[in-house]
Amino acid sequence: MSDEKFEEFLKSAAQSYNAPPARVPRDEMWDAIKAARSAGPRVVYGGVSHLRSENRFGGKVWWAAAAALLLVASGVGIGRWTASSDAPAVTAARPMSPETAIARIDPIRDDTVRAPGTDAAPGAPSGGQGARIEQGARVATTDDRRSSPSRVVTAAPTPDRATIADRAPASGRTPPPGARTSAYQLAEVNHLSQAEALLTSFRTRSSADQQQDARLAAWARELLSNTRLLLDSPVAEDPRRRPLLQDLELLLVQIVQLSPGSTPPDREIVEKTLRQDQLMTKLRTAIPAGQRGS
Amino acid sequence: MELAAYESRSPVHDLQLITRVVAGDPAAERELYVTYVDRIYRLAFRLAGDEELARDFTQATFIRAFEKIGSFRGESSLSTWLHSIGVSVALNGLRKTKRLRSRELPIEEGLTVGSTRMEAEPDLKVRMARAIESLSEKYRMVFLMHDVEGYTHEEISGTLRIPIGTSKSHLFQARSKLRVALADFAPEWVS
Repeated sequence: MSDEKFEEFLKSAAQSYNAPPARVPRDEMWDAIKAARSAGPRVVYGGVSHLRSENRFGGKVWWAAAAALLLVASGVGIGRWTASSDAPAVTAARPMSPETAIARIDPIRDDTVRAPGTDAAPGAPSGGQGARIEQGARVATTDDRRSSPSRVVTAAPTPDRATIADRAPASGRTPPPGARTSAYQLAEVNHLSQAEALLTSFRTRSSADQQQDARLAAWARELLSNTRLLLDSPVAEDPRRRPLLQDLELLLVQIVQLSPGSTPPDREIVEKTLRQDQLMTKLRTAIPAGQRGS
Repeated sequence: MELAAYESRSPVHDLQLITRVVAGDPAAERELYVTYVDRIYRLAFRLAGDEELARDFTQATFIRAFEKIGSFRGESSLSTWLHSIGVSVALNGLRKTKRLRSRELPIEEGLTVGSTRMEAEPDLKVRMARAIESLSEKYRMVFLMHDVEGYTHEEISGTLRIPIGTSKSHLFQARSKLRVALADFAPEWVS
């Protein structure tokens, strides 16, 4: 008797818990669904796409891809930094001919770049394999800027960061193009997942918390540089991915600019962009199931 | 209206609808959406308690459903299948949001989490919300679906992929915990 009364009481009182609004925003959601799907459905009806094959990867590969992205990002960052500065390390190294530079970065022409115990240049720090590769890449870049020999360009037609990434594995062989693409895709998915986490955090933050805005801005800054790297990578060759990354880049710039001392109208502009571009929905569509929140 | 549309569904109708959606008929997509969106949205809102999140979860549910409908084998009803996706999307999304929020919580605030502070908040609505949120995810899901949204144990079983007996057991446990948590309000249901 008492149980029945309690159940009735419970059912009635619990109706107030997270009570949904009377009006369901059907049309708005439908528009967002259509927009997200036209932006790039990853899987077609009844079909099998590359996305499903990505899902077969285990957690280890996922972490390896994240590590690869970090390696690429830091490698490119160091490379750019040293190339843009006065490059004392390069001047300290023995001047090289373009042919030597090509040999150092081209594994087909010269495997000594990756052979244990060999070094990139006399006087160079005796770092690991990655350091030697970096050294070779940096020298090639500098030589390229100095004399622009056409042979350098033809020997390494892919962008520098792709070249470095491709040579990073210690296997001593150039990975097949498929593996390279998968690594980029995994890195991209990881990046989009991070971006989704940031945007979720942005939307659920306290509006008056300046400290939180500052933390989000720092996070956005970090993602912004990775977005730029991805835009320069083969991932951006996908016509469905490029607009998404560009939209994300724009939004991240807005978030970065929010702090410090942003006003509610400033934040409203970012939120408006977020809503109008349906970025959250597009991101969620681009991130395969089971790889969220990693 | 939408509930009537949902309740008048038959397996044959659903099968025809799926066939049309797989064939790429936009009207069929819209029909599927309109038929189920209200229920999915309501459940998402109950779980999230936030309009933006509920929208996101609902949208993600349908996007994923349209992507995967070609692989739907009819082992469960279309409704159950859609709800499974919806619950999965919502729970994953909520876990992520919760993780982010807990990361940002100041220490002093964190210390108060979990305490009921009954005497400070006599309001039933607030106490009810706290009590429901203190339930574990599996109990909360079953309680909200059954007692709040009116799903049957068969539907819950299919959606959460648990046996019917487990669904009933979870509901019993949830109610017992809520009964303890809301003991202060006993006169209201005893009378």
